[in-house]
Amino acid sequence: MTARGETFYMPAACLTKLAERNVQNLTPVLDWTEGNRPFAIRDSFDQRLRTTRRLLLEDGSLMELLSTADGMCSQPATPGASFVAEFAEGPVKAALADLSPLRALLSITSGIARSGRLALVDDEGKTRARAQLRELESSSGNAVILLTPQGLRGYDTALHDLVARIRDCGGTPLAAGNLYRMIEPASTGYVAKPRIEVGREETALDAASDLITGYLPVARANEQGIIADLDTEFLHDYRIALRKIRSVLSLFKDVYDPEQTAELKARFSALMAQTGPLRDLDVYLLGQQSFRDLVPERMHSGLDRMFALLRHRRTVEQATLAAHLRSKGYQKDIKALARMFARRRKLLPGPNASRASYDLACELIWKRYRRIRRIAAELNARTPDEEVHELRIECKKLRYLMEFFGSVFPQDDFANILKPLKKLQDSLGLFNDYAVQQTKLQVFADDLGDDPHKLEIAQNIGALVIVLHQKQVAEREKIIAAFARFNSNKMQRTIRELFHDGKEA
Amino acid sequence: MQIIACYSNKGGVGKTATAVNLAYAFAASGRRVLLCDLDPQGASGFYFRVKPSKKLTDARFFEDVERFTKAIRGSDYDNLDILPANMSFREFDVFLSRMKNGQSRLKKALKAVKSDYDLVLLDCPPNISMLSENVFHAADAVVVPVIPTTLSQRTFEQLLEFFGNSDLPEDKIHAFFSMVQGIKSLHGEIIATMTDAHPRRFTQATIPFASEIERMGLARAPVLATAPNSRAGKAYQALFEEIAGRANG
Repeated sequence: MTARGETFYMPAACLTKLAERNVQNLTPVLDWTEGNRPFAIRDSFDQRLRTTRRLLLEDGSLMELLSTADGMCSQPATPGASFVAEFAEGPVKAALADLSPLRALLSITSGIARSGRLALVDDEGKTRARAQLRELESSSGNAVILLTPQGLRGYDTALHDLVARIRDCGGTPLAAGNLYRMIEPASTGYVAKPRIEVGREETALDAASDLITGYLPVARANEQGIIADLDTEFLHDYRIALRKIRSVLSLFKDVYDPEQTAELKARFSALMAQTGPLRDLDVYLLGQQSFRDLVPERMHSGLDRMFALLRHRRTVEQATLAAHLRSKGYQKDIKALARMFARRRKLLPGPNASRASYDLACELIWKRYRRIRRIAAELNARTPDEEVHELRIECKKLRYLMEFFGSVFPQDDFANILKPLKKLQDSLGLFNDYAVQQTKLQVFADDLGDDPHKLEIAQNIGALVIVLHQKQVAEREKIIAAFARFNSNKMQRTIRELFHDGKEA
Repeated sequence: MQIIACYSNKGGVGKTATAVNLAYAFAASGRRVLLCDLDPQGASGFYFRVKPSKKLTDARFFEDVERFTKAIRGSDYDNLDILPANMSFREFDVFLSRMKNGQSRLKKALKAVKSDYDLVLLDCPPNISMLSENVFHAADAVVVPVIPTTLSQRTFEQLLEFFGNSDLPEDKIHAFFSMVQGIKSLHGEIIATMTDAHPRRFTQATIPFASEIERMGLARAPVLATAPNSRAGKAYQALFEEIAGRANG
């Protein structure tokens, strides 16, 4: 019987050193199995696995997950699967449950793997200890060896000697980080939310330009993923980055020359507008199951037909957006914008350009906050939807301002304000979603034309709209409660102290 | 845990080669196997390159749990371990009786080993007169190689007689023809006669007289590992399948 030990890692060159000398009178014999197979290390674009110190290795038909915290587990690979949900049930899938269901697990490096065996043989030709070998050679040429020593019953000393030799030759217990070292540094480093520190005394112009320069590469980093349609999060992140840039332009009042601000806003809005239809369709299709759950099962056939139509539209929209992102016009435009904010020579200062960031932040945030309180004070069950909508927009602006200027305020107080603000925004967001969905579904039903299943689809959509309306009404109550929490005396005091020198008005 | 004894009351019949190849085949089929080398002449341990342990010759060995389990050595093959004991038949007798019976310390010791193996294969020393019937009591199956010669015919009948006199179930015996030479007409005749005289005792598989088997001593590895597609290799595989089927049935 054999006892399996832990797995060691070493650069391929070290194996030669290991195999060239006897180990306590035992001769090392190296034997590679003929043939090789492809391997790949997979991660989501935002490196969720790498940042949580885990590594997903697909080796031939086997999928292995290496985790600093929980060791190693494996299961058969599911060919063609890119989302966790598509993997066959198994320990690896279970251990990946925390990953976003929306993110594809992409191959971040790949190459060729082969297997072999290193045996320590005595003078009778008897194996006394051995190690299973795996060589992974990435397409960049970096090769590493994984060694799993196996003891044979009754030969404990030989196993002990083998492990000691492996360590002597540079073998270290295998951890996720070892294998990531195979990957070029260039292929890593996407961060969806870059930390851009604004200094208290930094001029408002510099702060705004720093923020825009920080978010532009995030948008650009997602272009290829959108074009290849790897998963829906590329577009989502792309839009968030552009939205942040647009918010900087509109919220940092008079930091740039007003005319230039208007022109820049128009240019970024135009970029954003291209992405709207595809994102809308993504949202509906991702919510497919939850929509189905809202209506009785007999209403599902109509909804399924609707989703089939939406899927078809999505294919068309995806191709359109991909063509746009690949177009010379887009590439020229986005590069010109990136250049403009990187060099800053052509940016024209506005009246607030040279104000200190802290000073401007206090003024902008305090103004927003007062406007929010004014709108919310009137809020009741009969408030028109438009006003709730306006409150949502104002809260969003406040949130963006607070996030942009986060680094110039004390962190603890800030967190205390953000928490109830987020809750309020969640409620407002749901309220808005329900309203928009009702309208859009109605438009979809009206536009069915002479679809053979028009009646069935329209009926089922009708049922869905009723449910959505009820949910919208229920959410309004929650908004009032959420605002009350955000507007507590303590919160008012904190906000006054932070942004208005503690003054009342 | 199953116990299969490889036994012949006559030497030089290919018994050890059979034990070695059967042990290998059972292990390769996924069963965890312990091959006990109990025949100092056959030395199945030799074929697995396992050095005999000098410490294992005294009688107290089987009463010493630690020493027994520590003497086991892993072979170069998955699922297959060897007990390279060089002992006399007398101790072997004790070994077997303790293995099956009572409250002995060995029995307790074996409990630990028991969970390690699905099958224990015994390469027994050849001598019927001195061998205790305990051997046959202990084993679930007794695999007996028989060379199709008139002399072997007699020794096989002596074995059956022994079983009969000792009230042992004859159907534990699974005999097969060993070192069969197709060109010898006498071999064919004796095979026909004996199969006829002892229905169900002989397997259909026969092991030929083959150079691969003789070369096992040089290769020091089972034929099934070095030449599985040779005539001898295929014959051992067929024998294994039949024995495995019978042992399970």
